[in-house]
Amino acid sequence: MIARHALFALAAFAMAASPLGAAASFAVPVPSVESSGAATIVRQPDANAALVGVAFVVHAGLDRQTLKQSGLAALVAQTVLRTPVTPRQGQSEALPLVDAVAARGGSIHFTVDPGDVRFYIEALADDAPAVLDLFRTALAAPDFSPATVRDARDSLVRQIAQSQQVALQVGLDMLNAASSQDANSGLPELGTPNSLAQFFSSDVRGFYERYYRNGGVLVSAAGRLDTLAPGALGSLANALPEGTTSPIAIHLPRLTGATHEIVAHRDVPSPWLIAQYPAPKVDSNDFGAMLVLAAFVRRTLSDIAQVPGVVSPTFASRSVGALYAYDRVPPTLVLYVNGGLNGNPSRAFATALSVVGLLGATRLQGSIEEFKAEAAGDFANDATTLETRAWLAAVFSRESSSPDFINRALAAIAATTPDDVERVARTYLGNPTIALVLPRGTNLQD
Amino acid sequence: MRAALLAAAVLGVASASIVAPAGAAIEQQLNPLPRGGSYVIVPDPTVGSAAIGLWFRAPGAGYDNATPGIANLAATAAAVSRLASGKSLYEFVHSIGGQLSIEVFPDIVGIGAIVPATAARRVVAAMTAAYFAPSVDENAVKIARANAAVLGVQQRYESDATLHDLLFRQIFESGPAHYPPLPPSVSQLTSITAEQVDAFAKRAFRSENAVLALTGNVDASSVSAVTDGSGSGAMDAPFDSTLAAAPGSATSTGAVDGVGLAWTGPAISDPKAATALDFVADYLFRDETGIVSRSLDRSDSDALVSGQFITLHDPGVMIVTIGGGHEKQAEERVLAALTALQQPLEKRAFDAAREAFLYHVATDTQTPQERADNLGWYTTEGNLGYAPGMGNGSYEATARELDPQYVAEVVRRYLGKPFVVDLIAAAAPQRESSP
Repeated sequence: MIARHALFALAAFAMAASPLGAAASFAVPVPSVESSGAATIVRQPDANAALVGVAFVVHAGLDRQTLKQSGLAALVAQTVLRTPVTPRQGQSEALPLVDAVAARGGSIHFTVDPGDVRFYIEALADDAPAVLDLFRTALAAPDFSPATVRDARDSLVRQIAQSQQVALQVGLDMLNAASSQDANSGLPELGTPNSLAQFFSSDVRGFYERYYRNGGVLVSAAGRLDTLAPGALGSLANALPEGTTSPIAIHLPRLTGATHEIVAHRDVPSPWLIAQYPAPKVDSNDFGAMLVLAAFVRRTLSDIAQVPGVVSPTFASRSVGALYAYDRVPPTLVLYVNGGLNGNPSRAFATALSVVGLLGATRLQGSIEEFKAEAAGDFANDATTLETRAWLAAVFSRESSSPDFINRALAAIAATTPDDVERVARTYLGNPTIALVLPRGTNLQD
Repeated sequence: MRAALLAAAVLGVASASIVAPAGAAIEQQLNPLPRGGSYVIVPDPTVGSAAIGLWFRAPGAGYDNATPGIANLAATAAAVSRLASGKSLYEFVHSIGGQLSIEVFPDIVGIGAIVPATAARRVVAAMTAAYFAPSVDENAVKIARANAAVLGVQQRYESDATLHDLLFRQIFESGPAHYPPLPPSVSQLTSITAEQVDAFAKRAFRSENAVLALTGNVDASSVSAVTDGSGSGAMDAPFDSTLAAAPGSATSTGAVDGVGLAWTGPAISDPKAATALDFVADYLFRDETGIVSRSLDRSDSDALVSGQFITLHDPGVMIVTIGGGHEKQAEERVLAALTALQQPLEKRAFDAAREAFLYHVATDTQTPQERADNLGWYTTEGNLGYAPGMGNGSYEATARELDPQYVAEVVRRYLGKPFVVDLIAAAAPQRESSP
């Protein structure tokens, strides 16, 4: 049964017709890049936007932590968000930054990546100068008082509790830990309640003073940038002291063997099966082909899971998916099956793994144009919010000489040949690491 | 706001708000299509995709309100019928890397596509061919029935959508809003013949009854790709429904538990009052930031409350759905929060909440698809100029006119005794009783 599904999927791949012949050409304006001292500023003006979105990336991520400091990077970032600031001049009452930003018509959150912490600040265009001022104030002088650090820790513990109920996140955390090049960069993004409980204010202050430096800071902005003063973005980086930092290299022996399986039990309603493969970076010659492969795998999984004869997305078709995390270090391709929405998750998962395995071992025949179109559509359609646009420009700027994410990605997809697809499948899709996230009280035999 | 279910639907057929950005001087006016109907365009050349929406005024249960589900079947059948190219609209949009969505509400139908910008013109051509000259056969209706049947079963497990339909049935004693866009029984779907569906499609999807919304990386030249349509008349008048005499309560059994509350509100012709209720919904119920939502998050992580004001032609409806456990406690918090809002908020708190509201409006409507959906919805409901965050910024200006006293007065005027539906999960087959 599995083989038949797999062959059917490959046949569908081979038989896809070319739909791109009459496509018109178009180009999206290229973001501009400039240096501001030791920082890099990327700009994407959009006069049609109502908002300004700014991604602020500083080298203070997971790889700046020791193994005993799991969660410290997140705790510092959360402390910045909880630092009291005064929303308006003349107003005496100070609010935590995150609340002050909301009261001024904006939002702020952060993400801890293996090498960086990125803050994303978004605001109504007219409010953006004031909101960025609030962020700059808190960034330059976070409040490391025990009360604020405790507040930040409480907030992180709540977020951890919520994420532990998201099976896909639990699985990705385990897989990222297994695939990380260094032991510390694979630590959980937010740490654990136990690890966070170990930190004093002095730890938080120490990490900030050591790693929040302007060297290598990347500020990527999109939207109504005409509302900002010319030096507004550069001044965010200048809020930090000068200097550069280096990651802490912690090497532990990697898992050996062909295929790895990791199992976790959580308070989730249904089992999830997740497979992770290595994948190329955005500056790789393999980038376009992997985007096409990811589109193919996504389509195939959806077709396998979908209720026959139904054209709308259903619980079943949404129970499976494929994610190409090219913005992460190292990049990965992830396949997942939600066993709660899929009648036979084991079969769907095994079929998916078989299809991917065959891709790496079988010479493909026929057109790949439909999957190239799907890859192009997925990329373009997913890059429409200011946050995504600001972040992708930052990723492409960081990984290559140009932040022109849209045009470069579409060009890479357009240039992909069947030979490229075969080569990339063979190079990357060999031995997956597999995570099973099971409801408590169940086991593998269930 | 427009019905929030739209945001998540991708070739999903939803039952019945959304908001938009306050961009700098975006042009916003209706223009005539070459063969009947109208279009509105809000281009943004800085993105790589284009959104194309085609919206119609159409009664979900048929022109005689006797065939619940027929608009759903017709909209889906037209999307899966073969075009002259040999592909259906559904197949074509997917083949060029796009996504097609079909959204059916009691009084309107919206077809949406998000596609790479290079394909915008061809999608305009295919979409208008599929709907302005529908050719619905038995096979297409068969696919549409199967699709609707699966979605109908699925919806039973979604308390929000189920409660929405049950509340509308309570609020409106007759007219299209009394009936769910997806009928609860398969037999209702199979009783609708292909001929009825075809006739409905030909009447509802006339070009003159349509508005084409174009957003993203697209320009007005795409309109010349419209080669079908033959209308010279106007869009149909709005399909309003008759209100129930007074709010009441009902209990229904279903696949999941939940509580639904609803109030009738102002028509779209009263934008200030409608905007005030949008503000109330945002202030109390927005996920993560709403006063009620935050209080529930602290007390019970399973509780889920969503609330929105649905801007309709006349009247609009404020709806709150509660699920996830501890519904009665959550209901008490909702009612207590609304009672508190009958008194004006302290000015500084109000100013901060209004600024946050304006931001939420903008961030929720920044993508081409969200903008196209808003343009289509507000045009068919009767007030394009009021589309949140779009065009001349009238929505934002109206929101900035709100003050604590006015909002409290609107709450007192509209949010008194609610319509209530208790949805109780039962192992037995679905049954209903209303007092």
